[in-house]
Amino acid sequence: MRPLRVRLALAVAGFGALAVLAVLTAPLVGSSSISLARVFDRSVPFADNPDAQIFFIARLPRTLAGALVGAMLASAGVVFQGLLRNPLATPFTLGVSAGAALGAMLAITFGWSLAWLGIPVAPLASFAGSLLAVGVVYLLATARHRGLSTHVLLLAGVTMNAFFSALILFVQYFADFAETFRILRWLMGDLDISSYQPLVTALPLVVFSFAAFAWLARPLNLLNLGAEAAETRGLDVLRAQRVAFLSASLATGAAVSVGGPIGFIGIVVPHLVRLLVGADHRVVLPASALFGAAFLIGCDAIARTIMAPLELPVGVITALIGGPFFLWLLVRRA
Amino acid sequence: MLRAADVEFGYGETPVVRGVSLDVPADGFVGIIGPNGSGKTTLLRLLAGTRQPRRGALTLDGVPLATLSRAALARRMAVVPQETQLAFEYTVLEVVLMGRYVHLGAFEVEGPRDLEIARRSLAATGTLDFQHRPFATLSGGEKQRVVIAAALAQISAVERSDTEPAILLLDEPTAALDLRYQLETAALLADLHRSHALSVVVSTHDLNFAASLCRTVVMLKDGQVLASGGVDDVLTPALVGRLYGVEVDVSRHPQSGHLTVVPLRRMTGARP
Amino acid sequence: MRSIWAIFSVTLKSADGAARRHDGATARRVHSVFLEEAQKSGTSSRCVVVPSWLSPWAVLLSVAAVILGGTVLVASQPQPRRIISLIPAVTEMLFALEAGDRVVAVGSFDKYPPEVEKLPKVGALLDPDLERILSLRPDLVAVYGSQADLRTQLERGGVAMFVYAHAGLADVTTTIRELGTRIGADARAAGLVRDIEERLASVRRSVAGRPRPKTLVVFGREALALRNVYASGGIGFVHDMVTAAGGDNVFADVNQQAVQATTELIITRRPDVILELRAEPLSRDAEQKERAVWNRLGSVPAVRNGRVYILVDRRTVIPGPRVGEGVEVIARLLHRLPW
Repeated sequence: MRPLRVRLALAVAGFGALAVLAVLTAPLVGSSSISLARVFDRSVPFADNPDAQIFFIARLPRTLAGALVGAMLASAGVVFQGLLRNPLATPFTLGVSAGAALGAMLAITFGWSLAWLGIPVAPLASFAGSLLAVGVVYLLATARHRGLSTHVLLLAGVTMNAFFSALILFVQYFADFAETFRILRWLMGDLDISSYQPLVTALPLVVFSFAAFAWLARPLNLLNLGAEAAETRGLDVLRAQRVAFLSASLATGAAVSVGGPIGFIGIVVPHLVRLLVGADHRVVLPASALFGAAFLIGCDAIARTIMAPLELPVGVITALIGGPFFLWLLVRRA
Repeated sequence: MLRAADVEFGYGETPVVRGVSLDVPADGFVGIIGPNGSGKTTLLRLLAGTRQPRRGALTLDGVPLATLSRAALARRMAVVPQETQLAFEYTVLEVVLMGRYVHLGAFEVEGPRDLEIARRSLAATGTLDFQHRPFATLSGGEKQRVVIAAALAQISAVERSDTEPAILLLDEPTAALDLRYQLETAALLADLHRSHALSVVVSTHDLNFAASLCRTVVMLKDGQVLASGGVDDVLTPALVGRLYGVEVDVSRHPQSGHLTVVPLRRMTGARP
Repeated sequence: MRSIWAIFSVTLKSADGAARRHDGATARRVHSVFLEEAQKSGTSSRCVVVPSWLSPWAVLLSVAAVILGGTVLVASQPQPRRIISLIPAVTEMLFALEAGDRVVAVGSFDKYPPEVEKLPKVGALLDPDLERILSLRPDLVAVYGSQADLRTQLERGGVAMFVYAHAGLADVTTTIRELGTRIGADARAAGLVRDIEERLASVRRSVAGRPRPKTLVVFGREALALRNVYASGGIGFVHDMVTAAGGDNVFADVNQQAVQATTELIITRRPDVILELRAEPLSRDAEQKERAVWNRLGSVPAVRNGRVYILVDRRTVIPGPRVGEGVEVIARLLHRLPW
């Protein structure tokens, strides 16, 4: 096996190239045909140039959102799997997405509005919901134990998922037909953000999360040995678990508030990446982020074009690819 | 060097370990023996510094363990747990390199020196040939030796001065091994103790294993020290009988030269 | 030998077979009671079911039977006197057919006419309150076709139903006619239908020669964001209304009632007019902010020419008796006619 630096360089180069390719080509495909020449034709004022409008308002933000959400969900998946020492964990295992869904649902159903602030409230409510879920799970898991019990964490997360799902059903009774429809569609994921503002708003969270992930790479390797053994190797286990849980949850919450709870990226991408580069988190984390970006951009491109002019929700495509993959994983492990 | 003085600890209300005192000298090979549930693993955790006692003191060269940083402790002491289960497919070399964690900065990558230390540790445990194989594909005995190699890499002599001998703590190292690997592990530990100048603390319920390796033995029963001292003084039929409630015969084996304990029958009558 | 003739007059015409089956079941039940009585008293009995339009003849027949020495029992389906409606459109229709005094409860989303504010609410499409409905002892309940569970339960409870299905503009008048027959208000229904059709014809005349603007009709989207935009496809009564009002639905080629309109689609289809239909009113400030959300699509003609409208008018979202007025409202906006 090649030394770490070489493997890391190869992985970043390879997956990075894939991600760059995805970002450059995705805005060129879509349900309507545009010509690049017209897109960059400066002589036509922007407001009169539909090709440029489609490129810069419809497709490019969408591609960038796909990159951001894909990178965050994939790397958060890696971190959760390392934290819980379970390859079947996903960013949504611990209740983050259920909390986010509840927040968004409440905002949509009860028509909450921050009109005086001029910003849409659903993404904020969704993020707040995910923070609430994360907070409750964390408190439960640290309640009586010295440190963080991953068993309790897992149980608390699964329980919160169920509880929030029940609340979601309850809130749904207050929703009328149109609202229910919109909520269902939000649950399937939607990257059509049509502006760069959500990306800019999420940027600080992204930077923070990725910085934390970079620091977490080696601790996650050690956590694999078990909390007790990792401690004897000199790792501050409690601090590592806290940072892992909080940063991965924040990343997931931010990703969900931008694009909705898009499933399967957090499990398909880490596994594929590990098959190719091995288990060392120092390679797996950056590679998963890059591959996650490329993967989601690809799925979104498929979702946009396969039934043109109509669009499938991107969550449907990730599920259609991810579901059989997940089954194959389970069979392979059995 | 590593000393426990009258320590008490419990996970909940009831103490698991009570009034335990023991001493691990600089050149020591200490065996902690006792039935299941007597507190051996807990005592090992206390000695390694991962738990703090409720009462009493644990000191390393007179300095309380609680005041030493995790990194400082990790440089002097390494633990080999009973079992190592990895959730992901790390190679043997990667597992051993994990032992170098405490010697590297937050974003530092293992350098040639770390690789050299890792390889030497693998060689010392006879597992160098496995270095690129996935850890999960090894047999129980091979895995155990790899983990020992990782522990060695962690407390490697290069970073220590001669006045700071290192300690290797092993929790039931032979529990899941067959006869051949038991023998190999015993030989390995004896060799490491001699050639690497390591102190070794081993918790085990295999009396013969302890007898063949340890210089001093601590008998733990229901969380309290039943007896401690030289192996010849502690491994007597009377004490073993009190510890396990079993009548045994203890004799020196003519060929191996170690004490051998042979169980005869269960003790009946008065409680031991 | 005396005979008992039981003649039941039954409504044969109904939106689906439910009413007919129900009435037939009731008829059979009563018949079995009479069978018992007849056997006890040693007489033979016969049951005849006749359609309601034969009722006058049934009376003559029964007179003949009496003369021939039998006892005749004639029962005919009475007009429903305790009506519950879960559907806003049907509620409006009932009141427009002057049967408002017979309505004992309405659905949770019913707001017109103002009299319904005082009536008890029994839920809607997703959450009908069966207990409440039954406790009000209705003899007719208007339900959605898709409410399969509720329909089964009401059938078991022996409650007659009027089954409603969402459809196009033409079906509004059909539904009004069927409802009229069902509640015994045929004449009034015919009059109402005539009014609606006249109004529609008048609108069609006034927009006949005018150019047809490409129209995007939005049902809903997220607040203050162009996310999750739902627009009318080429099917459904909103599409029909816009077409009748002289507009060209930009999604007329899509064979669905609702289309998720992505940014790219909206830019490509270049609507001349954007019409957002809302059920709840907005403050002036909020309305301005919501309209401003479209400004980022500068190349869309509707945005450039300031023809983005937010319409809060139940007449345009409820496929009820006021659709004619709804079409008028939309036509005025589309063609910039004076109020």
